[in-house]
Amino acid sequence: MQAIKIVVTGAYAAGKTSFIRAVSEIDMVSTEYDVTNPDELAIKTETTVALDFGMIAINDESTLYLFGTPGQSRFDFMWEILSLGCIGYVVLVDSCRPAHLNETAALMAAFATHTSAPFIVAANKQDDPTALPVSYIRKRLHVPYDVPVVPCIGNDRESVKSVLLSLLAHIEQSFSSG
Amino acid sequence: MALEGTFEDMSLVDLFQIFRTGNKSGVLLVVGDTEQGVIYVYQGCLIDAVLVQGSERKVTQIGEEAVLCLLRWEDASFTFRHDLAVKDRPVRIQHDSEWLSLEALRRRDRPLRLLAHQQITLDTQLSLAALPATAQGGVNLNLDQWRILSQIAISQNLHDISAQTGMAPEVAIRTVTELVAVGLVDVAPPPVRPARLIRLPVPTHQPPMVPALAGMRALTGMAAADVGEVSAGRGLLHAIMRKIRRL
Repeated sequence: MQAIKIVVTGAYAAGKTSFIRAVSEIDMVSTEYDVTNPDELAIKTETTVALDFGMIAINDESTLYLFGTPGQSRFDFMWEILSLGCIGYVVLVDSCRPAHLNETAALMAAFATHTSAPFIVAANKQDDPTALPVSYIRKRLHVPYDVPVVPCIGNDRESVKSVLLSLLAHIEQSFSSG
Repeated sequence: MALEGTFEDMSLVDLFQIFRTGNKSGVLLVVGDTEQGVIYVYQGCLIDAVLVQGSERKVTQIGEEAVLCLLRWEDASFTFRHDLAVKDRPVRIQHDSEWLSLEALRRRDRPLRLLAHQQITLDTQLSLAALPATAQGGVNLNLDQWRILSQIAISQNLHDISAQTGMAPEVAIRTVTELVAVGLVDVAPPPVRPARLIRLPVPTHQPPMVPALAGMRALTGMAAADVGEVSAGRGLLHAIMRKIRRL
């Protein structure tokens, strides 16, 4: 059995759990706990403290695993473990919280020290009419021109599928040029 | 459903650019220490603004003067809510946001403070900001600003621009800072990264019965040093793509 791993990362409350839940073929294994930090409680009431885990069976021999990193910085030590062996990763960013952009830029720099796998940036909550446009998110995160930045609606299956397909196409492109 | 943040996260000029490029309509509430401002935006254009003070909400400025006051604020929080009802509001702002941003810069008596992502050095690569077709043509720039703008498309970085124009580095940095702050120039993203060969890890363990444990095993299995690697097959990637499309 060949296990293929894709990691979904992003700052706190970027929508990673919803993203994985939208496409996983199993009831997603999640480790959500009540938020106790007052600052974080203002954003959401439950958070992922270890990892989210989803699975998509490709065929009899291969399975795609989706791992979501915990967004809280005190669990950063998990990133290295989660990134090992991944074929690519999605950086999810909340398009309605500009404060996320600085956090996400720092996260991208840190994640790149753990893996050189290809990645794409998914601008979540693009169904909100006030959402920051994808072009602005690319500019603010200083995403290199060859890395796709794609719109995303994290709780919409078709949108999440589109993001994963973009990542796979980007992986294939990296593979071809390598 | 709202865009929320502080001026530490995003400047008012950036917000104006977002409104313009995204053709947004709604109400921007800006909250400072003792004052509050409201800017009404319709189809990307600023149409009205009000500045109020104190708990009695005494109106201190309206229209363009209110926007110019708000452009001087450095610490405030903001909330932008989508609202198409703003179209019924009378238009009390005649100039576009580029003009207002430049006018605020001209009236400024303190040095500009850029946000962390806008910091300029001589190594900074620059690009011309995309302006919408609706932007007014009557933007007034000073000579140094024009000299910098004329070099951006043909120079590698600010060091080159300084050399080409004969402008002292500190003047070049200060001038570019102004152009970035008013949204006419962007800090360019890094160039294309070198290509990498992608490899797929092959776990050595058998798949366990419980799917959740399979993921955990895959995780730990991939971390083990004895796991070999093979080049990822294009066929496998295509199989994953086909499966995802069918979901």
